[in-house]
Amino acid sequence: MGREKEKEKLSEKALNLLRSRLSDPNFIFRPLSDSPDSNYSKLKFIISTSVTEACNNSILLLGPRGSGKVAVLELVLSDLLQQYPEAISVIRLNGLLHSDDNCALKEIARQLCMEHQLLFSKVASFDDNSQFMIAMLRECGLAHKTIIFVLDEFDFFAQGKQRLLYSLLDAMQSVNSQAVVIGVSCRLDVDQLLEKRVRSRFSHRKLLFLSPSKEDTERFIEHILSLPMDSSLPHNYAAEFNGRLKKLLSDERFKELIDTYLSFNFTIGHLVRFLFQAVSYMDLSAGFLSLGNFKTALSSNQRQPKLECIRDCSVLELYMMVCMKRLEVKEQASYNFYSVMTEYKSIHDSFQTSDYYAANVCLRAFEHLLQCQLISFIDNKGHNQSVEFRPVKLLISSAELHQGLKSYQQCPAILLKLMDR
Amino acid sequence: MPTETPRKQFQSPKKPKQSPNNVKSQSSTPSIHLSPQTPQLPLRRSSRRSLQLFTSKTVDEMLDLSTPRKALEALDGIGKCSGNNRKGSSVRTPRTLKCKFNEEDREIPEMGKVGEGNGEVSPEALESKKRKNGLSEEGSVKMGKSPKCKLNEDLGKLGEGNGDVVSPEKRKKGLRNEESVKTRKSLRCKLSEEEMEIPDLGKLGDATFFPVSPQALESKKRKKGGEKRAVTRAMATRSLKKVNKEEKKGRKRVYYKKVVYDGGEFEVGDDVYVKRREDASSDDEVPEMEECRVCFKVGKGVMIECDDCLGGFHLKCLTPPLKEVPDGDWVCGFCQARKLGKDVEFPKPPEGKKRVRTLREKLLASDLWAARIESLWKEVDGSYWFRGRWYIIPEETASGRQPHNLKRELYRTNDFADIEMESIIRQCDVMSPKEYAKANDQGDDVFLCEYEYDIQWHSFKRLAEIDNDEDGECANGDEDWNSCKEDDSDTDEDMEYEEENERNAHARPSTTHQLAANSRKGRFFGIQKVGTKMIPEHVRCHKQTELERAKATLLLATLPKSLPCRNKEMEEITTFVKGAICDDQCLGRCLYIHGVPGTGKTMSVLAVMRNIKSEVDAGSIRPYCFVEVNGLKLAAPENIYTVIYEALTGHRVSWKKALQLLNERFSDGKKIAKGDDRPCILLIDELDLLVTRNQSVLYNILDWPTKPHSKLIVIGIANTMDLPEKLLPRISSRMGIQRLCFGPYNYQQLQEIISSRLKGIDAFEKQAVEFASRKVAAISGDARRALEICRRAAEIADYNMKNQISSVNSSTVKDVVTMADVDAAIQEMFQAPHVQVMKSCSKLSKIFLTAMVYELYKTGMGETTFEKLAMTCSCLCTSNGEAFPGWDTLLKVGCKLGECRIILCEAGDRHRVQKLQLNFPSDDVAFALKDSKDLPWLAKYL
Repeated sequence: MGREKEKEKLSEKALNLLRSRLSDPNFIFRPLSDSPDSNYSKLKFIISTSVTEACNNSILLLGPRGSGKVAVLELVLSDLLQQYPEAISVIRLNGLLHSDDNCALKEIARQLCMEHQLLFSKVASFDDNSQFMIAMLRECGLAHKTIIFVLDEFDFFAQGKQRLLYSLLDAMQSVNSQAVVIGVSCRLDVDQLLEKRVRSRFSHRKLLFLSPSKEDTERFIEHILSLPMDSSLPHNYAAEFNGRLKKLLSDERFKELIDTYLSFNFTIGHLVRFLFQAVSYMDLSAGFLSLGNFKTALSSNQRQPKLECIRDCSVLELYMMVCMKRLEVKEQASYNFYSVMTEYKSIHDSFQTSDYYAANVCLRAFEHLLQCQLISFIDNKGHNQSVEFRPVKLLISSAELHQGLKSYQQCPAILLKLMDR
Repeated sequence: MPTETPRKQFQSPKKPKQSPNNVKSQSSTPSIHLSPQTPQLPLRRSSRRSLQLFTSKTVDEMLDLSTPRKALEALDGIGKCSGNNRKGSSVRTPRTLKCKFNEEDREIPEMGKVGEGNGEVSPEALESKKRKNGLSEEGSVKMGKSPKCKLNEDLGKLGEGNGDVVSPEKRKKGLRNEESVKTRKSLRCKLSEEEMEIPDLGKLGDATFFPVSPQALESKKRKKGGEKRAVTRAMATRSLKKVNKEEKKGRKRVYYKKVVYDGGEFEVGDDVYVKRREDASSDDEVPEMEECRVCFKVGKGVMIECDDCLGGFHLKCLTPPLKEVPDGDWVCGFCQARKLGKDVEFPKPPEGKKRVRTLREKLLASDLWAARIESLWKEVDGSYWFRGRWYIIPEETASGRQPHNLKRELYRTNDFADIEMESIIRQCDVMSPKEYAKANDQGDDVFLCEYEYDIQWHSFKRLAEIDNDEDGECANGDEDWNSCKEDDSDTDEDMEYEEENERNAHARPSTTHQLAANSRKGRFFGIQKVGTKMIPEHVRCHKQTELERAKATLLLATLPKSLPCRNKEMEEITTFVKGAICDDQCLGRCLYIHGVPGTGKTMSVLAVMRNIKSEVDAGSIRPYCFVEVNGLKLAAPENIYTVIYEALTGHRVSWKKALQLLNERFSDGKKIAKGDDRPCILLIDELDLLVTRNQSVLYNILDWPTKPHSKLIVIGIANTMDLPEKLLPRISSRMGIQRLCFGPYNYQQLQEIISSRLKGIDAFEKQAVEFASRKVAAISGDARRALEICRRAAEIADYNMKNQISSVNSSTVKDVVTMADVDAAIQEMFQAPHVQVMKSCSKLSKIFLTAMVYELYKTGMGETTFEKLAMTCSCLCTSNGEAFPGWDTLLKVGCKLGECRIILCEAGDRHRVQKLQLNFPSDDVAFALKDSKDLPWLAKYL
């Protein structure tokens, strides 16, 4: 008993270690950043030249969500802040929060004030703030200080008149400062969004973040999941853990499983999330990772919400959906509750089904379907109309409905028949 | 008082020249040197200095007359009228003037002040002991009872004869006293016997002034930015007006631009050695030449300076002797030996001869100080003061001497002090790094100053290239054109106000009353805090490689020395502007400049304005004011009124008020402030941003030039060629008459632009530059883009080189930008990254995209719905042995592609009816997915 507890404690420790690793971007992206071709070293080179050679730069970091743009950037910034502790100040903006030029400039002024222990005034106008920013750029340039503007969700800044980007980039081409504007976006066409004047001033450096290749992924998984041999964990436990992991990794079934996962989620961020899930399923009493853990994690990732919704529906609701489907087959483009009810009645009349409910009950079912988002209103017009008069549409395809009916346990046979007809 | 006409006549740029004979005869007159001079003083006078010494004029002449020549004539006049005992024009009028002043204020012991005025100023005293000033007012009175005072009185009587010429410098007494007390406080004066010997009066006599006029500026040895000139001139103008008025109101400080004092000629902007209090008496003799460290003799042949210990050596005293000064750094044998760890002793000077330290050595040992003269003036009592800006040596900073500091490096501080001229020893030369690099044999008094040191925050800041660009002063800069016509009713208040301001400005950092940094009222309060505590080493010690130099010169922010390829346009702008300014009426001039971005529109206009500004400074063109507005930097189009008004007058009002005031000025010809009748050039960049719904802003602005007295010239810049046509006819008729088109650069021009910047830097293959310029010319003709491509290419080459060096220790790495680098830069810049993303995306995404293309081919419609697409997808999957993942997963995949904008799609909650469309041509998708390794079957559907 005591031994088992001991073992459980050990495995818990290992689990915590793995989890903390998986949530630490530093650990995840560090091994990928050594080679000179990596984005890490390229980005670091660009920013550090701006620090050492006193020049202005602007870079776009592009790549799908979860490809580690911000994580790598943060890694670079933290490294550079260590290297040049006094010479760098970072201004962070997010397009979702500061897409308004006025408010973005205010935020820049606020952060600049914070950085340099100056007093910030909330009431300063747009002009004041932009002049303050330019003055600060100049002063910092004279003091060999680099200002790094990180614009996350860059595409939101590239809307409207783009005053912020214009004044930033125009300052960078006219003031002898050392500043770097880093735009981070998942939109690949973001440089096309820039207004022509802004685009001309932008220096068009682009770093593309792609998902790692298959071999890299495997190495990456091994790197993350194997326990360190020189930590507080007992040596033989770690050795056995790693041995089993190696065996697991070379297992064909495991490879297939990872492949399936990567076939729809291909970025490194998703992979990390998947591994985290799998690790969390680890059996504490066994203390080792097994194929089962990964299988559970995969299946929890491959859920089909619409089909599950159908499984939860009542028979009446199924009837209503089948009716709608039949209406669509009859090429009736728009239908509302009453037209569905007519169809429902006609089915009942022709087939004499046992499930016939009154209109008010049907309306309840109808409303439930709306809430489940299995059906929705066609348009946003007619809010003041009552629900039953507004046209709706089915949000689930007939194939899915068919599949759902089949997997439904007490599905009346007549419904399946009705589907086909 | 002379009227305007004679002044104009005498604004010839000639500098007066006196023949040496004349000078000699003057110097022989006993009245010049009333008292003997200390023997060492003549030693350090160069003949040139003594020449200038005698081009002296009276204060008032200088104030009345703008040119030296005129002054000279007036000098003659004075000589005649007062000259009962003078010989011709050699009258030492300054002294008579001074005496005259004494006559007026007999109770003020001015001369006494001068007598004790070996005022020593120490920064410590300024910083901490301001209250504990050593000398009281009584002390100065006592000193005033010196025999010289009598002499003074005699002279004063002499001076009475020409009282009609001389205007007494009166001052309200209360004000004067306060002034003197204040300055006194900031000084700690110390008397040393040695300095007592110096005949103060004689010096006073020598202290003469140059009249201030634009021409006088030409005689400057140092180059300065145009702004600086404006400042000094403004100051001079101020003093001019002031003295004009002194007859009525009393006396004030008189500011000068240049003072000849004690044999040296000092002007604003000069750097000088300043005596330090503890100056040991043993060091009093100041050698002009440095001794050789080996033979301890001065002169005799060329000397070389060791770059390490700064010791001087005769070339022939070295072992082995050198024939000529070698290029580059040279370190003496002693330092080399010391570096190798040996114990070296410098040769001892011969017995009985003490080693004399030069001023430079004293300064670097902080036995002396250096300061830069910011302004010069004569106190009410006739003593000469200057406002000095201290230099400090690296040892005196908070961070101490840093390893990268050069031996001759100084820091400029933001610490000012009022110092009496007495404490100046002589001039030194503090240079910017560029000048310093060129200064090879300019003597021992050469120093390097690259940084400014903030004494409050102990932080460093690089000195800006063009220092003192105080825009505010710009407006006053040209006042002397009109100053005679104007009645100077308010200048007096102005002066006091300014002084007060100055005081406030200095008091401000100490007060705890805080202002926000980003609001304009505080004038960005506290921005001086920004600075590094230590100058980073990488900045100073790093030697730039060719590639790095190329990168620096290709930066958009670096202003090129010449602007090639826009000569024709610039000429056109120049003629337009000049025609508009010189025209007396300035009727309705408006120029519309258009062209695609990056074709040098703004740059050309600004360059033209710079050229014209320098011509204004030279005096050949009438002054004007120049206002620059950028449409995109305005929060709203209406704000342009505020900005223009602020630029013209310095006041900030709401835009409605500003519009009203500007209307008054331009339409009704009402003057807001003095100097309004100067023509005004308004440059509006990004003009199209000012177009409002009813286009009233543009109409107002473009209507003003048509008004008879507006004297407004508008230059509008925008990208679109037909902007005037898009506007209301009443606007286009006002704007569209004179146009200038900046066409996109062709490849030769781009090549010229790039290679002109890269001149002297061997970092690019010639074909590489041509390739880049051809590529850009074919796409946009945007010079910015071309420069950026080249810079990026240099960056790539640099990156590759540095990586190669770190990986393989081979020294044979080429550091030239090749075609491949340029190509990589172009790829990065112009190629959309979607192909790469498509290639690397997940299996399902590839199938999804293939289905999109397939659907497109099948139906011929660009747009499809998710339902149709999912059906196609499942077909593809089942027929090729792939597992269909389910609709919801597919939806997720589609949404992720939509996020990257590879496809355009509606929100995912529309599910079955979601509309989808490819964002890139289907050929791109086909190209990307044709040979994917994991899904070879995709090719047959593409």
